[in-house]
Amino acid sequence: MSSAQSTQPDSAAGGRRLWRRRTEATPLSWRAFRRSWQAYALLSPIFVLLIIFVYYPPILGLIRAFFRWRPGVPATFVGFDNFVTYFTYAETPHELVNIVKLLVFGLFAGIVMPFIMAELIFFVRSAALKELYRLLVIIPMLVPGIVTVLLWQKLYDPYLGPINDLLRAMGLEHLALNWLGEHRIAIYAIMFVGFPWVWGVGTLIYLGGLGQISDSVYEAAALDGCTGVGRVLRIDIPLVLGQVRLLAILAIINAITAFQNILVLTDGGPGFSTMVPGLTMFHSAFRAQKFGYSSAIGLLLFIIAMSGTLIINRGIRPANEELRQ
Amino acid sequence: MTTELQRSPTRRPLQMSQLGLHLMIAFLLLLSLVPTVIMINLSFKNGLQYRWERWTLSLPLRGSNYLSAWDVIDAYMINTVLVAVVGLAGVLILSLIGGYVFARMRFPLREPLYYAIIALLMVPWVLSFIPAYMLYNNLGLLNTRWALIIPNVAGGPIFGIFLMRAFITGIPEELYESARCDGAGAWSLIWRITFPLSLPGLATLSVLNFVAEWNSFLWPLVTISDMSKQVISVGLFRLSRTTNDLVDFGSGGPLFAGYVLASIPLVILFIVLGKFYVEGLVESGIKM
Repeated sequence: MSSAQSTQPDSAAGGRRLWRRRTEATPLSWRAFRRSWQAYALLSPIFVLLIIFVYYPPILGLIRAFFRWRPGVPATFVGFDNFVTYFTYAETPHELVNIVKLLVFGLFAGIVMPFIMAELIFFVRSAALKELYRLLVIIPMLVPGIVTVLLWQKLYDPYLGPINDLLRAMGLEHLALNWLGEHRIAIYAIMFVGFPWVWGVGTLIYLGGLGQISDSVYEAAALDGCTGVGRVLRIDIPLVLGQVRLLAILAIINAITAFQNILVLTDGGPGFSTMVPGLTMFHSAFRAQKFGYSSAIGLLLFIIAMSGTLIINRGIRPANEELRQ
Repeated sequence: MTTELQRSPTRRPLQMSQLGLHLMIAFLLLLSLVPTVIMINLSFKNGLQYRWERWTLSLPLRGSNYLSAWDVIDAYMINTVLVAVVGLAGVLILSLIGGYVFARMRFPLREPLYYAIIALLMVPWVLSFIPAYMLYNNLGLLNTRWALIIPNVAGGPIFGIFLMRAFITGIPEELYESARCDGAGAWSLIWRITFPLSLPGLATLSVLNFVAEWNSFLWPLVTISDMSKQVISVGLFRLSRTTNDLVDFGSGGPLFAGYVLASIPLVILFIVLGKFYVEGLVESGIKM
């Protein structure tokens, strides 16, 4: 294995290595490629798998969004027909309203609640308890996602669920509704799943960001009498905008593309009241076998999610790096 | 943040506010745990208790619910562990190699190739879900365990390489130099030096990957029709659809016992590797 030396040609001469590292000058000659065969050989299994199973499907989807495409039948080009069909479909405006609702709520639950929890933990004085809380926030994640959703389905059960049992016990019989079965309530019942939405991952990401804020910033703030809530608003929030941006992007992608909870809880019902585009994509592929139409909806969702991501990326600018450790 | 400045002058009010803080945290944590507590409580009930004493602790606890549940979900549990572990092994190997190559080797097109991988983190699954199904269909992989293993082995290293590259960059260069002087090749630099030193990074990756696999639902739902090959998420979903608590009094308790059993592998994982998971997320918060 003497050729290891050749992919690291400068490992002997220290001075040259420094220069190399700074400029990253790797000549693009045929000899350089040949000398680096080992790096390419090591990467080749990764790229073979990526090309077949990760690059190819979305590209195929991009193309087949413009085709009529069913298993076992040759695909035929139909131009923008699939998109026209979706936008002229009677339930589409309703589906779009639903994802807007889910988006607004998702941004609140995904950004604000973990931040509140992170701040509470961050203000805790005792290091041992801080450590303990950090571990406790991830306990809800030890329950598989599907189990959480199935549990909430039981909580909402109109006859056997604890929510209605509690309301009846309090004499509020008239408020004991069929939460997932009423047209106007079902979508909000779906949002409420996971209350109080203290999401462990988000909380820990914020805690990482808060821990990075330099002590001198806090000392200066305390001298100016900026403590407690004032400090949170004027110092902590501007300095965790990087984390806010990450969680906002995750929340947007999730709100626009996720439909697993809806599929399990209501399957779009009652009627079409909880339908979202993702679920229509799922149904048209696996129930109606319309894979081209389904790919078109997938492409639309991708475009919406990407635009949202770009807007957030432009809109939220993390504060000055100098204030962090 | 425990600077002397904050601590000394106003000790009393601060202690009060600390108490309030603990109460608020405890309140939020308790609310988050309500469904879990209800699940555990219900998992120990017999038919009559399930019908009439659902929300209170009722004795005797019926532990045999767990045996009945295991009899139904054992195949799903074993399938999921099998698929997740095989996939994870592939992800760890490819991420370690990829991370090493991008962190330690210098070769033409290194950065473009690296970004060609990392850019894939930006492609939401929704764009590839339908065409990927057709691809596995055309390859004849539907309804085989490969349909569950391959997506993980192929896609897992995307984030894995990102994570491991950052980790391996932090290993001191001197270790590599002395090994190279002893004539070690790339292969032994990876396995003898990089591997043992990047165990914490691999642990973080393992937890993230295993949790994702354990939770995967939509993909196995559409690709696996043979229930004997099905994974736990879909198994529990189907079970919840076929059990009717109103008609069949005995079914409630075992169903919830099944939910608890499905959580146990994740509990074990977090007991063993939870520290790495928390560290990994806190770290990723710092990298923003």
